[in-house]
Amino acid sequence: MENTIKVERAILSLTQDDLAKKIGVSRQTINSIEANRYVPSTVLALKLSEVFSKPVNDFFKLSQDD
Amino acid sequence: MMDCERNRFQKFINFRLSHRFMPIGIAVVLLSITAMFVRAFALDGDTLWLKHILQKTMLVGLLIMSLSKDKEEDEMTISLRAQSYAIAFVIGVIYALVMPYVEFGVSNVVNSEGQAFKDLGDFQVLLFMLMIQLLFYHNLKRYR
Repeated sequence: MENTIKVERAILSLTQDDLAKKIGVSRQTINSIEANRYVPSTVLALKLSEVFSKPVNDFFKLSQDD
Repeated sequence: MMDCERNRFQKFINFRLSHRFMPIGIAVVLLSITAMFVRAFALDGDTLWLKHILQKTMLVGLLIMSLSKDKEEDEMTISLRAQSYAIAFVIGVIYALVMPYVEFGVSNVVNSEGQAFKDLGDFQVLLFMLMIQLLFYHNLKRYR
């Protein structure tokens, strides 16, 4: 799974900490998701979608390994 | 009926203590270890009963530490905790199977007569599993 959360976050001028607070997780979790070390649950993906006002498919993409 | 049972089961599975219990667990473990040293080096007479009680309190302390939530508990820490329990279970079973043979082998190499073969006690296995769980959980969190 690949994602462009870092880009989406930059568009909204949000720090990792700001985004973490908005969706109720820790900053380290956002960092792990951005680095593709952790794949979030559907609930978390939908919360991100709400913050970015975009469908989940726009910032999460399946990679060739998936 | 089925939903009610499922909800109750889910609540039971998701049970965790508040993060405020972590220092309590650490205090219980440290007090138990200190009391174990005092019993071993400062107390005379038959204090085997005290040793058993201290072993139990130490396990309770480690269990409290293991069940305590993090300050920032989220789905990732829950997933890491589940991983650490799985790792601790597998390593614990391997430890319980292999360690008696290692102890038996080493004691027979060091001493010509050596010890008789004996299985591990419940305290040793549980202590090892809880320590492995806490160690792996904190390492997984550090490298997340």
